[in-house]
Amino acid sequence: MKIRIRVAWHVCGLMVFCSLAACAPSATNKPGATPAPRSDSDASTTDSRTGEGQRGGTKESETGSSSLKQMQEGKSSATPASSPMKDVFYEFDRYDLSADARATLRANADWLKSNPSARVEIEGHCDERGTNEYNLALGAKRAQAAREFLTTLGIPADRLSTISYGEEIPVCREQTEDCWKKNRRARFVILQGRSTS
Amino acid sequence: MTLKWLLAICSLLLLMAFGTAHAASAPPGVTGEIVGQGGQRFPIAVSPLKNLGNNTAESARLSTGIADAMVHDLELSGWFKVLDRSAYMENAQTSGITLGTFDFKDWATIGAEGLVKGGFSVQGDEVAVELRLFDVYQNKERIGKRYTGRVRDYRRIAHKFVDEIINQFTGVPGVFNTRIAYVSNSGGRFKEIFVSHLDGSEKFQVTDNHTINLSPAWSPDGRSVLYSSFKDRNQTLFLFELYSGKEIKFTPRGGGRYLSGKFSPDGQTIVATMELGGNTNLYLLDRSGNVIRQLTKNPGIEVSPAWSPDGKQIVFVSDRSGSPQLYILDLASGNSRRLTYSGSYNTSPEWSPKGDRIVYTGRVANRFAIFTISVDGGEPRKLTAESFDSEDPTWSPDGRFIAFASNRAGKYHLYVMQAGGDNQRRLTGSGGDDTKPHWSPRLD
Repeated sequence: MKIRIRVAWHVCGLMVFCSLAACAPSATNKPGATPAPRSDSDASTTDSRTGEGQRGGTKESETGSSSLKQMQEGKSSATPASSPMKDVFYEFDRYDLSADARATLRANADWLKSNPSARVEIEGHCDERGTNEYNLALGAKRAQAAREFLTTLGIPADRLSTISYGEEIPVCREQTEDCWKKNRRARFVILQGRSTS
Repeated sequence: MTLKWLLAICSLLLLMAFGTAHAASAPPGVTGEIVGQGGQRFPIAVSPLKNLGNNTAESARLSTGIADAMVHDLELSGWFKVLDRSAYMENAQTSGITLGTFDFKDWATIGAEGLVKGGFSVQGDEVAVELRLFDVYQNKERIGKRYTGRVRDYRRIAHKFVDEIINQFTGVPGVFNTRIAYVSNSGGRFKEIFVSHLDGSEKFQVTDNHTINLSPAWSPDGRSVLYSSFKDRNQTLFLFELYSGKEIKFTPRGGGRYLSGKFSPDGQTIVATMELGGNTNLYLLDRSGNVIRQLTKNPGIEVSPAWSPDGKQIVFVSDRSGSPQLYILDLASGNSRRLTYSGSYNTSPEWSPKGDRIVYTGRVANRFAIFTISVDGGEPRKLTAESFDSEDPTWSPDGRFIAFASNRAGKYHLYVMQAGGDNQRRLTGSGGDDTKPHWSPRLD
């Protein structure tokens, strides 16, 4: 038995010889390999909260704030019942518009027609299932589907921009179908020009 | 049993050596299957290190700290059974650390077949460490190494020596002197990018912008991390250099948005997904983010690209069939072929460093699991159970391990397993959700 173990170790030794021959060992642990800490200026090159402000003339309204900004402020991005622009909902891994979704979009289009100076950003959202990247792409598809339907209803395309947040900003955080259903949505952020009458 | 295991290791060595020399003739995935199967692990003892210098406040911590780091790595590999320290008979501070200055019987008695001993001395901020691997049955020294470094980097010395031990047993160095880049919400609502060693040490926060940062990807030199971020409101890519803190922003043309990117194996180009007008396609970029050319032109979703190790092909996800499936794009011809046919939701592929298999996330029974599939297609292998979700797999640089995110303990944490699915162990334990791991190349 000992002999066989010896044979085994010899095979191991041979392997070591081969690997040592292939690369000279580095016996020094190089200092200075820890990343430099980031300076404050690096960490905040851009104030990410200025997005909507940059467009100018933003009037805050019930849905006048992006989901990202809502999240940063620790608020829910759920659309309040009082909002004139209602959310549109989708099936899992789908971006086609159901009859309900089309009806909601028609009502949203009516509001946009009676508020001709309003510009809207359509946010695409997904439930948490699936991978982040695929959901970002899926959210973009959802937002685009809503945008295209609104343009077929006569809303000029330049009043409608899109953004996808994928699964990143859910309104509901439980792992249930009820909750996922609420998260698979297009949300409409009124950026400017809301009628004051 | 011991003999059997030694012979198993060494027949594995022969197989791996053969595979290295004649890669084409080695059956795909065989090494991952043999190692660790059956639960027989090589019994090894790791003695606390002997303090060879002055007694300082740090010396007791270093003595066990370096040993603990080695124990962690050896256990994580799945190839070793580290004998419990309480069974060790000799006093580490009084017995010798070189051949002939200690008694092998003290170690043979407790069942150790391998033995790691070492010593260290601290001078200011620097520590000098010598480490040796002994063959207890043969009464021989197998490896002897001397390292110097900063005291606070002591764990890295341990990682390097374990990589040597694994080289001794398998013919290929280990992958413990590497880092993982990942996304964590740290229990809050923002997602930031972090990098750390596999044992969680030297954790470094790459982003701190209080938005959503995703999809970290290493440059092949291990010096930079590419990630996507909403920090400038519209999602785009940023390339952060870890050592200098310098960062560049990729500005997509025409109102597009970059969702993610991956460096080519030569580090010269990046494949990125860009969303434009609702459609997501793959683009080839230079290191500054300029578009070299568009790679796919489909009116749908094309995301999550990953390079073949030779840089000639890209595996990615497309919904062109109606559900997310994996496709392989040949860069020279521009043709792509579908790879996965089973399951209705297959995403986040990564090409193995050996080139033979692709690991990905697939949906099964309303859960997500990690699968691998041969690059030629065929039946996928499921590596994780469907009683919980496992996602975002990433290969170790030697292709023998896969790290991934899983919610098996409630929140999402990072795990590592052997490439065949054995020895699944948790890496991170932060209070939040840790996701999207990407394994670095081997580091200096």
